Amino acid sequence: MSDESNTFNEQMMEMFIFETNQAIEQLEDILLQIEKESVMTEENINEIFRIMHTIKGSSSMMMITNVAKATHSLEDLFFFVREKQLQNVDLDATCDLVFNTIDFINQEISKIENKQQADGDEEPLVEQIRRALARLKNPGNAKEQEDTHELEMKETNENSEREDQGVTDQTVKKHFIEQTPEVLEKQRYIAKVHFEEDCKMENIRAFTVVRNLADHVDELHHNPIELFEDENSTKAIVENGFDLFFTTAEPYDNIFQILDTSLFVEKIQLEQVDSYDALVKQIEKAQQDEEMVQVETEDELIKEDPEEILQEKVNLQNVINVGKKKNIISVNVEKMDLLMDLVGEIVITESMVTKNPDLAGLELDSFNKAARQLRKLNNELQDIVMSIRMIEIGPTFHKMHRIVRDMNKKLNKKAELFISGEETEVDKNIIDALGEPLLHMIRNALDHGIETEEERIAKGKPTEGKIQLEAINTGGDVLIRITDDGKGLDRDQILQKAKRNLLLPKSEEDMTDKEVYNLILLPGFSTKEDVTEFSGRGVGMDVVQKSIDKIGGVIQIDSKMNEGTIINIKIPLTLAIIDGMKISVGQSIFTIPTTTIRESFKPEKKDIIKDTAGNEMILIRGECYPIVRLDQLFDMKGYVSELEKGILVVVESEEVSFCVFADDIIGEQQVVVKPIPAYLRQYNIKNSGIAGCAILGNADISLILDIAGIAEKI
Amino acid sequence: MKRVLIVDDAAFMRYTIKAMIEKKEEYEVVGEAENGAIGVAKYKELAPDIVTMDITMPEMDGLQALKEIKKLDPHAKVLMVSAMGQEKLVKDSIISGAKGFIVKPFKEDKIMEALAKI
Repeated sequence: MSDESNTFNEQMMEMFIFETNQAIEQLEDILLQIEKESVMTEENINEIFRIMHTIKGSSSMMMITNVAKATHSLEDLFFFVREKQLQNVDLDATCDLVFNTIDFINQEISKIENKQQADGDEEPLVEQIRRALARLKNPGNAKEQEDTHELEMKETNENSEREDQGVTDQTVKKHFIEQTPEVLEKQRYIAKVHFEEDCKMENIRAFTVVRNLADHVDELHHNPIELFEDENSTKAIVENGFDLFFTTAEPYDNIFQILDTSLFVEKIQLEQVDSYDALVKQIEKAQQDEEMVQVETEDELIKEDPEEILQEKVNLQNVINVGKKKNIISVNVEKMDLLMDLVGEIVITESMVTKNPDLAGLELDSFNKAARQLRKLNNELQDIVMSIRMIEIGPTFHKMHRIVRDMNKKLNKKAELFISGEETEVDKNIIDALGEPLLHMIRNALDHGIETEEERIAKGKPTEGKIQLEAINTGGDVLIRITDDGKGLDRDQILQKAKRNLLLPKSEEDMTDKEVYNLILLPGFSTKEDVTEFSGRGVGMDVVQKSIDKIGGVIQIDSKMNEGTIINIKIPLTLAIIDGMKISVGQSIFTIPTTTIRESFKPEKKDIIKDTAGNEMILIRGECYPIVRLDQLFDMKGYVSELEKGILVVVESEEVSFCVFADDIIGEQQVVVKPIPAYLRQYNIKNSGIAGCAILGNADISLILDIAGIAEKI
Repeated sequence: MKRVLIVDDAAFMRYTIKAMIEKKEEYEVVGEAENGAIGVAKYKELAPDIVTMDITMPEMDGLQALKEIKKLDPHAKVLMVSAMGQEKLVKDSIISGAKGFIVKPFKEDKIMEALAKI
């Protein structure tokens, strides 16, 4: 039982977190839009109000009281703005307030995600919001105004009573009056109703009781007299119960039942009396209210409800928005990972069956036909699973708006973020891994790249800096490019620094600019102390490199002094399954990702050139390509050593093309990429030209070549 | 078996309410709606015995949806689900014929009691 309720709670929590995160993302978008356009529309206000309201409700259900309180106070603020249709709201301050609340919610939610208590103190934030609300109410004298807060809220309520409701009440009232002459014939009752503890809004519960009784009684008084206008009514009802005095012709039992139809009635005392006039008078006097006891006061009848008008406008807007909604379900990523793994296993197993050595030499026409069909279906399955895992990179990009905004404020710089290619789809796991490195790089771009306004003016640049974040689908890979028009990297300073830290791989003069810039990616290149020491990046770039490494990506940096910096990150679209070409070298089978292969051929002796250092090269259609012998690269024995007896595979990585020399080509196959086992990682395999491994149909292991990595070695 | 329609814009709330009430065999959640307009449409389609109705929702709020449902079926049993701070709207919905209301955050026993009674 407790197990069951545990999973139930976990599921609820999971859902809560998911939905709250979504709401917050939406909220951030709204805020950024407000800041960008420097205007807060009615629709914005309504949306913020609604989102706060929803989070408040959900978090209070989950007993996350601090989040509930914080969102509640912000909801109050936007309620006020909405009701009063305020025009003079301080946009900056208000957005800050909402951002602070978002941060608070995020912080508490991440605590929950890490199985900690959401124990953050909401009070400073709530106080901040409260003060802002007071300021809104009276820009001149905030302090005094704060005390009248309650009063004003009440007024708002009063003004917005609805017309039709008034009409109903009026008929009820009339009804009473017409019946009055007969009153003497009927029985008089006193009733006291107690509501259950914690059923909330007791005043409205009492109102419900009155409503239920209205059609059955001729005269009705109650204590407290005023249910809505008097803030203390709820408290009084909770403490003393709700007193009713009425006259009716209906029998006792009926009346008792009517009283009991209201929800959460805990106790009913119903007593028939001779007269209650004195009691009623006493109560009326005590409350110093001359008005006859009725449900509503009359002067409210005429007024229109501003909220309803507002609501109608919102409705209209939402009708438009709803049309765009997609039919979507949310699935746990772990399940997707499992599914992906399973598809991977199926792909492997399929080749184990269809390429089974037992079948060698057999004539199997219908088997082959069935195998082809299986192949086709597997391909489709794989495509679908892949496409399910693909999500748009847009939301990850859009989160950077917030970073830029915060950094701008903190550093007093002016930079705008431009985003393109948001619709590019990438595997979910990759998207998750991208968030943090992106954040680092955007921060660096602003912190070290973009100059201050004065500096920019002095350099004759536009005062506003520009950071561009792009995603480009290049077929097999996605290219993420971060461009800024800041001061760029300083080659000399990087070189000096690298020399000091003994990170120079070759002599200074031999290094190209690109090689120099990429030095900043090396672990140990930059430390915290020299954050501002040189003009450029470096803070945590090795961290960026590591995260990108994990998802099989490649980083490249290019820069021009005073013009800016470009960081290119090339990441695979998806991690798991690739088309590969199997080649053999000695007893080993290597796999080359098909996307990197341009052609393969048997070379002729006349085309092979050797330079003075003994490096082999080949001429293809007048172009010269270096040759990489895999047996030499990996220090192993191949069966073939003369180039013209083996085979050359021309591969390309970024701008570099070269030839890989192998004994033979075995054939094409889809392989499931498996990471290199943990115990092998200590040997720095990643830098040796191996990207991962794959299990072949006959259960052999094939190493997948890291073409980009090998290219760097040439 | 009582057939229940849940109208709430937060999937979380729908899920919670559904999980709470489906623990009892006498209830069956026959439909869910994420705004008032869909709620009204589902009411027409499903004719449920009970509706739980959130108040603040996009497109059509709970109060409006309640009124529409009452127009379709004056005997409709609608339980409003409100949050603190919505006293006025709750009152309006009682006037418009809601059978009762519960206030978020609510515990399981409260919603069960409310459903049993209306």
